Amino acid sequence: MFRLQFIASLCVLLAVVFGVQAQESHQSPRQSTDEIAKLIELAEPGSTIVVPAGFYEGNLQINKPIVLDGQNLVTIDALGKGSVIEIMVGDVTLRGFTIRGSGLTIDQEPAGVRAVAGPVIIENNHFEDVYFGIDLRPAADSVIRNNTVIGMKHKLGRRGDGIRLWWSPNSIIEDNTIDAVRDMVFWYSEDLSVARNRVTNSRYGLHFMYSHNTILADNELIENSVGIYLMYSNNITLIGNSIINNRGSSGYGIGLKDCDAITIKNNALLANRVGMYIDNSPSSIDSWGIITGNKIAFNEIGLLSTPITHDNVITNNAFVENEEQVTVHGRGQLMLNDFSKDGIGNFWSSYSGFDKDNDGVGDFPHEPRSLFRSLLARQPNLRIFLHSPAQQAIELTARAFPELSPEPIFIDASPLTRPPTLDLFVSTQTQSRFPMIVFSVGLLAISCFGGWLVARQKPLPKITDTDPSQRAFV
Amino acid sequence: MINASHVTKKFGSVIAVDDLSFTLDKGESIALWGSNGAGKTTLIRSVLGIFPSTGTVSIHGINVRSQGKKARSFVGYVPQELAFHDDAKLGSSIMFFANLRKVNSKGAAIALAKVGLQGHEKKRLRDLSGGMKQRLALAIALIADPPIIVLDEPTSNLDASGRGEVIDTLCQLRDDGKTLLFASHRPDEVLSLAGRVLVMEKGKLIKDVTPQELWPTESRIQTMRLYLSMGTEESAATVLREAGHAVNLNGQGLCVSVPRNRKAEPVSVLARAEIEVRDFEILDEVQEDSK
Amino acid sequence: MTTLPIKTSPQPAAIGTHLSKVSSVIAFARREFRDAVSSRWFILYTVAFTVLAVAVSFMSLAGSGSHGFAGFGRTTAGLLNLIMLVVPLMALIAGAGSIAGERERGTLLYLLAQPISRTELLLGKYIGLAIALCCSMCIGFGLSAGVLAWRVGGVGISAFVMLVLFTCLLALAMLSVGMLLSVLSRRSGVATGLGLFAWLILVFLSDLGLMAGTILFKLRVQEVFAIGVMNPLQAFKMAVIVNMNASLDVLGPVGMYASQTFGGMLPWILALVLGTWTIVPLAIAVLIFSKRGSV
Repeated sequence: MFRLQFIASLCVLLAVVFGVQAQESHQSPRQSTDEIAKLIELAEPGSTIVVPAGFYEGNLQINKPIVLDGQNLVTIDALGKGSVIEIMVGDVTLRGFTIRGSGLTIDQEPAGVRAVAGPVIIENNHFEDVYFGIDLRPAADSVIRNNTVIGMKHKLGRRGDGIRLWWSPNSIIEDNTIDAVRDMVFWYSEDLSVARNRVTNSRYGLHFMYSHNTILADNELIENSVGIYLMYSNNITLIGNSIINNRGSSGYGIGLKDCDAITIKNNALLANRVGMYIDNSPSSIDSWGIITGNKIAFNEIGLLSTPITHDNVITNNAFVENEEQVTVHGRGQLMLNDFSKDGIGNFWSSYSGFDKDNDGVGDFPHEPRSLFRSLLARQPNLRIFLHSPAQQAIELTARAFPELSPEPIFIDASPLTRPPTLDLFVSTQTQSRFPMIVFSVGLLAISCFGGWLVARQKPLPKITDTDPSQRAFV
Repeated sequence: MINASHVTKKFGSVIAVDDLSFTLDKGESIALWGSNGAGKTTLIRSVLGIFPSTGTVSIHGINVRSQGKKARSFVGYVPQELAFHDDAKLGSSIMFFANLRKVNSKGAAIALAKVGLQGHEKKRLRDLSGGMKQRLALAIALIADPPIIVLDEPTSNLDASGRGEVIDTLCQLRDDGKTLLFASHRPDEVLSLAGRVLVMEKGKLIKDVTPQELWPTESRIQTMRLYLSMGTEESAATVLREAGHAVNLNGQGLCVSVPRNRKAEPVSVLARAEIEVRDFEILDEVQEDSK
Repeated sequence: MTTLPIKTSPQPAAIGTHLSKVSSVIAFARREFRDAVSSRWFILYTVAFTVLAVAVSFMSLAGSGSHGFAGFGRTTAGLLNLIMLVVPLMALIAGAGSIAGERERGTLLYLLAQPISRTELLLGKYIGLAIALCCSMCIGFGLSAGVLAWRVGGVGISAFVMLVLFTCLLALAMLSVGMLLSVLSRRSGVATGLGLFAWLILVFLSDLGLMAGTILFKLRVQEVFAIGVMNPLQAFKMAVIVNMNASLDVLGPVGMYASQTFGGMLPWILALVLGTWTIVPLAIAVLIFSKRGSV
């Protein structure tokens, strides 16, 4: 541990030294954060301080309602000790700083910025090399906007949260970019607006604990362990979020645990391990859930649910080419949920029926029955046989002997035959196609040329000067 | 060149070759004589070390069991049943066997030229006539110019003229100093080619004699051609075979090989079986060969 | 008994004059390759595999018109199913026909009368067939790689390369099993039957049996993994998935167990399983074939 810290701090030091040198060339030399503290001390409450450009070392505590503006020219570095900035009173605005070099002690959870009173406005800041990024505990009615947090790239469990709210209701969290942290997490914080944030390479992109009445809109959650995980949080609307490639060991695009009155609308859930996981939501007997207009595609499991789940209305979604479209955790069915309402169901790429009258609704209900899936539900260890011919053999058997066929786990009475949303697919193509072409041509060339090389038969030389006496047959 | 002692080969409980010993010297030509099932083919295969047998066989002083590969490099082999890969072309086929004997394409071409098959390299083996196949087999046997040639009924698939060609070639090879070991059931071949005859019966060697001792002039085998009524050839052949005669049924009639002094026998056998013999003639071997 | 004139003419005359350096194994391999590629079954299989591989690539992509990760993953998953059905069948039948076919046609006897050893014959045939199989599959893979490059781009090339390599390894293993069956059986019909039976066992029955066992005996993850991975097809499948996803947790608890227990060693372990399936049956085949009492 000590060693790790030593190396880490050495790295920090080196980075600091080089950073300083880089800045020194056109800016003032290193100063202590005491200089900023002095400025704050002199200022009237509520006034705006433009901090002189420069590189400040040490920690900073703000005890006065004030606007601090770094104008993107100020770096504050705590040199690996404690939180970089602590906001002790409300009505503080922090804008345009580069904040770095917090401590790493687990028990104190040092952060880039920690506010213990609200409201605060934290905007246009850049955080790097910090344990926690922005930590509101508590700071109600705050705004966290347009910040960048880049975490320390430790193992997931050893990282701190990019943004954490603790009992901070009525806050706005928008346009932040978070990378390589643990979570962006909201505890006991109601009435939030969480919009247009982008979280990548982290554990939980957006994590709600006991935080109700919130709208999450247009966030991007890419390549995290889990995209959005709502727990014990009610009355939440998820709309227009892009949730792609979240493939951790649980790997949910969206996970709901014991949440009531959730609306999930027009989100894209692509290539996650599980597109959407519904764990006992809604949990109250008289509550409901709405899942509509979502693109759920290329996930290993499109929709995974616990069997007791009830009263979700799941319509107008596109379930496209998920390895398993819908499955139930353990044995059971999803008959207490509506997969179609008012003659509108969902689009299923696996629908085997047809639409004779061409009204966009299939003529037969979609009731998927898979013997292998039902065996899987019974014995998860069988999943090892996925993608094997034996799996297909089982399905074929079930088709040949309908009495072996399991009950469908759900019925969509009005399956759509056209996907409800057209802009279904995002292109993530970044690599050049050249190596693949080379490989393709190479394989063909090897097989053809190699084959020719092995098979070729040179013609025998002409024997012109055969001595007639050598001939056996004269 | 070949030294076989106490060779025994069993297939399950059947003893195909039973404690058989013989020696074949350089330049010698030995025929294996015996009825079908006497063990000639099994003996040849044991000599070549194609399968394990008890006793020892050495070729050129090399044990065929322990160093079969080296021992076989001194031997060219012409099998009884000509089994080639019918899809293969003649050229690639001869090159394959040439490669097995570490001979290059020039050598392969020479071997083909020796048997008069040059120019047919592009032909597929299934398109070759029986005679051409036989010549190919001979070419393969001769490919590395081995000192020993082993042939298992080399003429059994051929017509008379083809037989003559092969026998002529073998005589020439013998005269060139090759050592020959061949199985045959045609006395004329044995007489013209072999210096010694090993007579086998039920896997045992019962006689090791010269052909002249085996067939004194007066008991020389001659071939009779019998002309029978339509439709009786098959039953006649059966009757004659049961009576112990060598019978050959072809389009021109029924040919029986009989010792010179017992020519009446087949006719009387058929008469007893109430099969009418309309006519017969004695075929002069020399005459037939020259036809 | 006469003494043998060993000293005179120890070597056949022509050997000195027209030497070739081609070894018997290579000669056999080339003949086998030539026979294979000109045979009807081989052309049929190659065409079938190629058409199916390209069709699978197209269909995986066509349903969506998609790009990127999903397209590649789905193509590979589709190919995986195809490979696991077709490649073992092809290799087992090819192997099963090799020796037994020659034996039945009588050509084996003729070959054994040549100056070669039985080991050379077997290895040569094995190598020739192996090259033929790999070439056949590379045509299919090459074309489907072309489809991928055209429709998807350069995504996942390393995983695709590994897919090709492991498929070749699978073919080698199955060919090895096929040759063992061929050596054991007298007639090529029997050998082909055995090959089909082995295919049925490896592709379906063993997995189905293990499935039943998993359900009935509630086997633990390590037991399911240990038994499952012994099947070369499962090892192959896991290897492909591990190379595509860097982890096996797609395959549920058992896969997760494997990934966590063996980590980075997993692909090597799986390759080792396939390698064992290649070497052991072939070695047994060589042993049995060279000790055989008849042709």
